[in-house]
Amino acid sequence: MSVSTDKPSFDSAREHLGKIYAKGLLGAAEGQQVTERVLAELDSLVDDVLDKLSDFEQLLSSPRISVEEKQRVLEAAFATRMSPVLLKFLKVTARHGRMDCLRQVRSAAHTLFNEMRGRVEISVETAEAINSLLMSQIQQRLTTALGRQVELHCRVNPQLLGGLVIRVGDTVYDGSLENQLARMRSETLDRAAQLIRDSLQRFLVTQ
Amino acid sequence: MRFNADEIASVIQKEIEQYESQLDVREVGTVLDVGDGIAHVYGLSNVMSGEMVAFPNGVNGLAFNLEESSVGIIILGNYLDINEGDEVRSLGQLLSVPVGEAVIGRVLDPLGNPLDGKGPVITNERRPVEFLAPGVAGRQPVSEPLQTGIKAIDAMTPIGRGQRELIIGDRKTGKTAIALDAILNQKNSGVKCFYVAIGQKDSSVAGVIKILEDHGAMDYTTVIVSGAASPAPMQYIAPYAGTSMAEYFMFNGQHALIIYDDLSKQAVAYRQLSLLMRRPPGREAYPGDVFYCHSRLLERSAKLSKELGGGSLTSLPIIETLEGEVSAYIPTNVISITDGQIYLQPDLFFAGIRPAMNPGISVSRVGGAAQVKAMKKVAGGLRLDLASFRELEAFAQMGTELDPATQSRLDRGYRMVELLKQPQYQPMPVLDQVLSIYAGTRGFLDSVPINQVAAWEKAFLAYMHDRRQDVVDELAQANDLTDGVVAKLNAAINDFKAGYKPTTGATAAR
Repeated sequence: MSVSTDKPSFDSAREHLGKIYAKGLLGAAEGQQVTERVLAELDSLVDDVLDKLSDFEQLLSSPRISVEEKQRVLEAAFATRMSPVLLKFLKVTARHGRMDCLRQVRSAAHTLFNEMRGRVEISVETAEAINSLLMSQIQQRLTTALGRQVELHCRVNPQLLGGLVIRVGDTVYDGSLENQLARMRSETLDRAAQLIRDSLQRFLVTQ
Repeated sequence: MRFNADEIASVIQKEIEQYESQLDVREVGTVLDVGDGIAHVYGLSNVMSGEMVAFPNGVNGLAFNLEESSVGIIILGNYLDINEGDEVRSLGQLLSVPVGEAVIGRVLDPLGNPLDGKGPVITNERRPVEFLAPGVAGRQPVSEPLQTGIKAIDAMTPIGRGQRELIIGDRKTGKTAIALDAILNQKNSGVKCFYVAIGQKDSSVAGVIKILEDHGAMDYTTVIVSGAASPAPMQYIAPYAGTSMAEYFMFNGQHALIIYDDLSKQAVAYRQLSLLMRRPPGREAYPGDVFYCHSRLLERSAKLSKELGGGSLTSLPIIETLEGEVSAYIPTNVISITDGQIYLQPDLFFAGIRPAMNPGISVSRVGGAAQVKAMKKVAGGLRLDLASFRELEAFAQMGTELDPATQSRLDRGYRMVELLKQPQYQPMPVLDQVLSIYAGTRGFLDSVPINQVAAWEKAFLAYMHDRRQDVVDELAQANDLTDGVVAKLNAAINDFKAGYKPTTGATAAR
């Protein structure tokens, strides 16, 4: 069974678990000062292994496979290629039967790590692909405006027509042409309707 | 009427030229799941409880539940166009409705949108739907009467302006009829009326509107409708929205009357929302704060102090009971919140006693202070007399031999019950009520056959207005039963009785 959905599914319970496990992982990694390496390995584990070998992911998350079996497989597969902190973490996660939350752990770990380092993740949407010069300018301006280090994620969305949309956390700064046109339309219609209501005679055809 | 398209185009052009673009800053979230009038949203991390949010299809919602990783939203409108993954934006405002003179005579939904096809509600004033009730210092005791025009109520459970009087009873016992009569009687009294229909059949609401229109009551009445087909969030906010519209008049020194028909349906809608939001169920599966849901609503009815203009908001909440069960959860809650209740019983209703009020357990805790003096004098003790008459009647039915004193009490009771019957949509002015009840309680009716009481009363009132207007005027002037008025009234009644001929063949008194 291979489930491939375009939309990333969201499960608030798993999201919550992911946060707790990510906190534990980061705590352990910080203690040995290998956090960046561990995060990179976790990224590669999800992107290069789990995404490509869905059977392997199922094996890890299946409740039918015993914990000992899972730990043995993990040991055999990663013992030489992975930092010991991450391997231990995976074994603990397997023992708790939470291997299905690995993706959530990964995203939560990145968010937490950025917070710890005082970095903000910002997504920028534009109508057309922007060149690196413009991108570095945007990055510089945002860094000074927010007073924190900025990690940019760019996305192209032709529906915007022009301008750009910046998203910091849950706050969206929308300077897109699409949004401006929509707002101009609704405001103009509202005002014109109000004007017609206030002075109806002006708009009637006199016969 | 034809519009000049060029003129409109030029206005739009001017507006576009003047348009100043600003950066649009908004707080957003993503819809996780949606259904049954509620949605869960991920994000919106700074949204506040009760804040409005907007969905992409133009429908608004209210932040109802703030959870650790998501926000529960109640959707005020059509939730079928909302999809998983849609962007939700917070508006940084509280829900508000249009208020002012413009809403009078209209039929509106709980958001203030017109349902009567009479065009938009043109007003610039709005009030928040959830508004804190006036505090202790902002109030004064109830002092003015609110006449319902129903003899049984104005005499036995008088209602004052600013009071909350519950109308409670089984289905089909005439609860709405009492509320409607109270609205009809506010004609020319300056009291603005609001009828909030919650979870009712649209056909019965249409019937109510028709009656109000036929009797000319829509000139001072607003109907707020959230029918059985509207989603639970709309039914939940309808009474609050209606109260906001009514409060506008109270805070402007005027008087308003609001009818919630009925609050049991609102409680059911609130229960639905709460259960869908996974709030823990309590007694009868209602959430723990269903009491607060009603108390904060009814507490907004008040008689304001002189400094605040002395306006008032009177409310007549309606509760439907099942099989006369007043000790169910919602009825006991609302009974304890209100300043009295009018209890309607099906057996009385089917015995032809309409309004089917049970005088024994109906009370008005504050209205007595507001009763007009003349009425207070004639009707004092009437409620207890009637209640004891009911016991006596049950006793007499066992066929025991009765002494003359008991028999005369019974006869008086039968006639009073007959006198307090009143046809629907015929509210009676308070002076007429005083005259009728005076005649009844002072024993002038004892010699009238029971089945002739209604006809006697009608003829008597006609006689008083045609021949003895001087007595009526004097009573109106004094607004009290002074010795002079009493003497003249007694003389007038005796004159009338001397000349009274029953219209049809009268049967002997029982």
